[in-house]
Amino acid sequence: MAKQRGRGMAAIEYPTGMNQGGDPSQCWVKLKPDGRVDVLSGTVDLGQGAKTIQTQIVAEVLGVPTDWVTFDNSNTDTSPLCTGSFASRATFMGGNAARIAAERARERVLDIASRLLEVDAADLDIDEGEVFVKGATEKRVGVPDVAAAATWQFGELITGTGAYLKPYANVDPETGRTDRNPHAGISYGACVADVEVDDETGAVAVTKLIQVYDVGRAINPMFVEGQLQGGGIMGLSFGLLESSYPYYPSVEHRGSEFGSYLSASIEGLPEVETVLLENPDVDGPFGAKGVGEMASNGIGPAIVAAIHDAIGIWVTESPITPERVLRALDEKAGGGGEPRRDGKRYVFDESLSVNALATGISFEVNV
Amino acid sequence: MKLNVNGVEHALESGALTPLLHVLREELGVTSPKAGCQSGGCGACTVLVDGEPRRSCLTPLGAVDGAEVTTIEGIGDAHDLHPVQEAFHTLHAAQCGFCTPGMIVATVALLKRLPQPGRREIERALSGHICRCTGYVKIVEAVEAAAGGSR
Repeated sequence: MAKQRGRGMAAIEYPTGMNQGGDPSQCWVKLKPDGRVDVLSGTVDLGQGAKTIQTQIVAEVLGVPTDWVTFDNSNTDTSPLCTGSFASRATFMGGNAARIAAERARERVLDIASRLLEVDAADLDIDEGEVFVKGATEKRVGVPDVAAAATWQFGELITGTGAYLKPYANVDPETGRTDRNPHAGISYGACVADVEVDDETGAVAVTKLIQVYDVGRAINPMFVEGQLQGGGIMGLSFGLLESSYPYYPSVEHRGSEFGSYLSASIEGLPEVETVLLENPDVDGPFGAKGVGEMASNGIGPAIVAAIHDAIGIWVTESPITPERVLRALDEKAGGGGEPRRDGKRYVFDESLSVNALATGISFEVNV
Repeated sequence: MKLNVNGVEHALESGALTPLLHVLREELGVTSPKAGCQSGGCGACTVLVDGEPRRSCLTPLGAVDGAEVTTIEGIGDAHDLHPVQEAFHTLHAAQCGFCTPGMIVATVALLKRLPQPGRREIERALSGHICRCTGYVKIVEAVEAAAGGSR
């Protein structure tokens, strides 16, 4: 009886956003008369950094400093539609809409600038807030002057709209083949978990997590890392702690409050190592993929594999509680199922379970 | 009943059994302490009472009559960030931000008590604060950076 160490690995692939239509994102970019840029979007920033990332995208496309750009998602009623921050889609879909809107606004900036500089728009470029003639960099005009000229001289508004929706893939009913790839922005990842399992108590401690993700392009590396670290510890919680029925087998005793649904705390965290691989995606903005959601999916399987490596059992239910580890150990020892329950009788009270049956939740109890 | 909240004296109408959390949020409109689990388990409602971190959801007003209460509004603002806020901001230690006010006031109290905490002391001081976004990795880094910066 001792603490046993093990290492496990899990690999994962995950698409970005929904497939076969259904989740468009739209964006509107416009320049104020002084050259500052308003980005109107419905993308909700729930902490992943969507506002900052789409601000970066628009600033990069327009060639202006990020602090000239204001991302306004304060009113989802009047802003263009975004179907939501889910399915790891905010950077990929919302970001694409912002990129396209900014590209169109950029064409309008170059159009006005070409009139001011009397140079063909195709010969112009923008960098650090100034439009300049390629190869003759002394001939230039600031974006604020371009926006002012559009407003006061030409009576025009520099603006661009963008929308993104994955194209629909038609399925051939005979062959089952599609005429295009129904997925886009598929990310890949691998997780390694090191564990220490106490084969006497069944307690599992994760000592190290290594996570490697193909993120396409890390538009904001610190934010992507934040998503992967957060997802990693959430995955650890899924694997070891979080249960909707902490007092099973009776579902009436489901957790009724925050504290009965355990999640990882800051104490006893594993060492977390996060590696970003950039493998740009053809459809993503600047090659970005979405990795928010997949970050929590591979950890549980990696922990299960690590436990197998440590003590030779497969735990097939999550969360991996000490009890489940001990049961699996008993089974492995050939003790005839569940020897720890020998001589004990569990009484299943049907009347208590009326609520559960009424809500359609089914469960089995061995008497 | 009286409280000094972030340096301002208030005479209060709430009853003695009203949780400090509701006094702050409802009567005074100080909304940085968050009503999370409201049973002492998540840390989102943490404020400093006479410099010590307290769960405001479990603290009846009558137990802290006349005390000095500090919330994150009294620690620093966007134009004048406290070093701990600065570290959390620079190192992306906040995502959705719901746990952040509690995390930061607890960190401020920790660094006052222990200016150069080790990893273990940081974990102990923040172990009652649940964060669902960051995985805590960048929070630990931010606390270490704030401690380093204050040296």
